[in-house]
Amino acid sequence: MNEQIKLPSESDSVVITTLKYYISGIQLLWQGKTVFRESNSHHLIHIEESKSLTIPLHTPKNIHFDTIEFCVGIDSISNVSGAFGGDLDPTLGMYWTWQSGYINFKLEGIHPKCNSRKNEFQFHIGGYQMPYYPLQEIKLSIPNKKQIDIYLQLEKLMANLDFKTQKSIMIPGKEAMDFSKRFTQMFRTQQ
Amino acid sequence: MRKGIIYIALFSFFALVAFTSTEPLFNVPSGWQKPSYDFSKNILSQEKIDIGRALFYSPILSKDNTISCASCHLSFTGFAHTDHDLSHGIDGKIGKRNAPALMNLAWGKTFMWDGRINHLDMQALAPISDSNEMNENIAHVVEKLNQSNVFKNLFYTAYRDSLITGERTLKCITQFMLTLVSSNSKYDQVMRHEDTFSSQEKNGYLLFQKNCASCHTEPLFTNNQFANNGLQQDTVLLDNGRYAITHIASDSLTFKVPTLRNIEFTYPYMHDGRFKKLSQVLNHYTSIPQHASTLDSQLQKPIQLSANDKVDVISFLLTLTDKEFLYHPKFQYPKKLFSQSPNGL
Repeated sequence: MNEQIKLPSESDSVVITTLKYYISGIQLLWQGKTVFRESNSHHLIHIEESKSLTIPLHTPKNIHFDTIEFCVGIDSISNVSGAFGGDLDPTLGMYWTWQSGYINFKLEGIHPKCNSRKNEFQFHIGGYQMPYYPLQEIKLSIPNKKQIDIYLQLEKLMANLDFKTQKSIMIPGKEAMDFSKRFTQMFRTQQ
Repeated sequence: MRKGIIYIALFSFFALVAFTSTEPLFNVPSGWQKPSYDFSKNILSQEKIDIGRALFYSPILSKDNTISCASCHLSFTGFAHTDHDLSHGIDGKIGKRNAPALMNLAWGKTFMWDGRINHLDMQALAPISDSNEMNENIAHVVEKLNQSNVFKNLFYTAYRDSLITGERTLKCITQFMLTLVSSNSKYDQVMRHEDTFSSQEKNGYLLFQKNCASCHTEPLFTNNQFANNGLQQDTVLLDNGRYAITHIASDSLTFKVPTLRNIEFTYPYMHDGRFKKLSQVLNHYTSIPQHASTLDSQLQKPIQLSANDKVDVISFLLTLTDKEFLYHPKFQYPKKLFSQSPNGL
């Protein structure tokens, strides 16, 4: 992909080389009550694969909703229940091998401030054991339309990240947990 | 003449029934607890077990097609790597720990010496990916399998479509692992009243129950927990055990309690294979220095065994040898499955 992004707060631009993450547990709500819950709701979003960017929801006809809820990442039960297929297949590069568990969110790229080899940064955020369980719930108000548009704002995710000191998170733990809190800020429903 | 023909037909019918009813794919030995593995999520079939066995013996799992699971897990020695304290993998690289014996895995809850793997299905990913072991990745393994006529045929037979996925590959390996049940040692036969201990074995058994069984709990001979058994940390390996996974101080220097079944053949012993002989193991347990802060509470009071006691305990441990398990052809290299092409490559 090698998308260049200009961060408003920075003079340098960031190059993103990989962005893959899981969306799970999708629900639609109407006035605070769940009116639709997707079953087996696990979707791997891979920015380079346009097909993965659209999620069809098989809802009842004429359903009314005003809110969408979903999680970024994979729940702990799915993390300890063995091998799955589809978007959860461990061949998709989103499963750790040295220790069991899904990678909820994978962001890799290049930032001139990173004093790492080739100025690269890698954030592999995951984990399923308390207290470091970085599954983040997202709740957004949405119009009652056939197509729900959700925008990802990477600049919000990376805002105030100090690439000099933080260039790599590869294991579950406090750092991954703190990083995951940024997910709640990165989605919006208007362009 | 007609009568004769009818007799033959009946006989073959009976033989078939007898064969299928005495060979279940998996059996919980009488008196054993329910397995931890959820078989409803991965229903066993002979065809899938065959695939798992072929995968276990095929070096296709490694980057340069040289290392298979069986390279370090030999059926004749309880699937341990006899004579190797630390196992060697791809390019002769040496790993960090002793390759554990493989048996009764359906009752396991976590895997590896530090429990880093939370489910049997996911276990194979670790050696496949480890740069000292197979140095491969599962996506590429699946790609190679999809190009192998041997494996495509095997998967077609099992699934009625020849598509090979990561999930199917891992679950088939699991199916073979689940069949590795060892439950017919002399100890088991004594428990079933089919045999009797010698007086030495009997004394060894009593000493074992008094001193060892709280961790090496019957009938699995492990409680599937982690413990610091007082070994001094190896100054080169600097292995902290489970602490590296949990980062909890009390897990420092703790390792999985291994099963003792077939221990006669699974030497060398301990997570780093430091002891070659059972006598060394027992000598360790009777002389643990009380230095480690996380030393298991069961070992805080030193175990006391006389030289004769130790001989008796060892004679009991030898009753855990299960020749039927060690020499069963169904666990060995699958010549038939690889008749078209060696190792399925």
